[in-house]
Amino acid sequence: MERPVMNPIRGAFAGMILVLAGVSGVFAHHSAAAMDFNNTVEMEGVVQKLEVVNPHLTLVLQVTDERGVRDIEFEGHSRNNVYRSGWRPDMIEFGDRIKVTIAPMRDGSEGGYVTAFETESGNRVGR
Amino acid sequence: MSSRIATCLRYVSIMGLIAGIGFAQTETPDFTGIWTNYAGGPRGRGQAGPDLPLRDEAQAKVAEYRALVSPLGETPGGYCLGTGMPGSMLGSGGYPMEVIQRPDQITIVYEAHNEIRRVYFGDRIILEGDRVPERNGYSTGRWEGDTLIVETTQLKEQVNQRYAHSDRASIVERYTLTEEDGRKVLTAEMTMTDPDFYTEPVSDVKRWSIIPNGFLMTYECNEPIWQNRLEELRAAAETSTQ
Repeated sequence: MERPVMNPIRGAFAGMILVLAGVSGVFAHHSAAAMDFNNTVEMEGVVQKLEVVNPHLTLVLQVTDERGVRDIEFEGHSRNNVYRSGWRPDMIEFGDRIKVTIAPMRDGSEGGYVTAFETESGNRVGR
Repeated sequence: MSSRIATCLRYVSIMGLIAGIGFAQTETPDFTGIWTNYAGGPRGRGQAGPDLPLRDEAQAKVAEYRALVSPLGETPGGYCLGTGMPGSMLGSGGYPMEVIQRPDQITIVYEAHNEIRRVYFGDRIILEGDRVPERNGYSTGRWEGDTLIVETTQLKEQVNQRYAHSDRASIVERYTLTEEDGRKVLTAEMTMTDPDFYTEPVSDVKRWSIIPNGFLMTYECNEPIWQNRLEELRAAAETSTQ
């Protein structure tokens, strides 16, 4: 189901993080100040929902850990940006297990900003 | 006979010289292509920040706006609204831009929010009274040698960007083309004059690198808003039938 990652402009995804504070187009729900981009963490989960749209994507992962099983919603970059970082429409589907790198919420609440994700077959978008 | 031939040759030479001069005068750099943020060094960011020479009244407008949007990080882009000038040319979210150059018009497409600027030349320029204020204003162009001069007026007042401005702002951009390591680099020096908002002109510099064989994507952004509205309508319809 997955295509090889083709990346017209490598690094665009990561580069966007650096300009979040000054970019109005990609950040709708939370202020960049609400997330800690200097202390990203990795998580694994099962995709419940992935909407790769502009101005930013929405990802819902079913996460299982010591706190139990629950759905967590994340934000991320725009469709155009993740496309340039290698994402393709059939890369991730409902029920897929993926790894995500997120900038967590500073207030400790669940969620955050997806800076990268990796499929089970090893396709990685962002960093 | 030989005299006639000599005269003809002189005529042809003179015409060729005139044509050559004419060509030299009309040949301008070609900015056509897909451009991305310059990554070879400082982009030369200007004076945006606390040091901006804003007048008190303008400062109050900016502060009121920021107090309103900062708690939730609200932005125009989050609602699919483009940046407007000068933000569109200075950053536009770090997305690439496309330049399509014709002698009478240069079209600039910023991928973010599909913002489009049209720079008109000569007879394509309409009277000021016929222009409608827009977030990106109305732009006219002229060449000074190899430098493209773009003047933008008819802007709307905007406090929602790096360089806030009133509707009386005017912006001058000076575009030059250079080459680094075989790759085209486009530099724009921007100066904004706004007697209502600033005590003196403000300036900034933006640089782009060409993306050979690059492409722009459509920035579809409104669809989720429409889908949400459809959900609201469906919910209302279900309620009314119960």
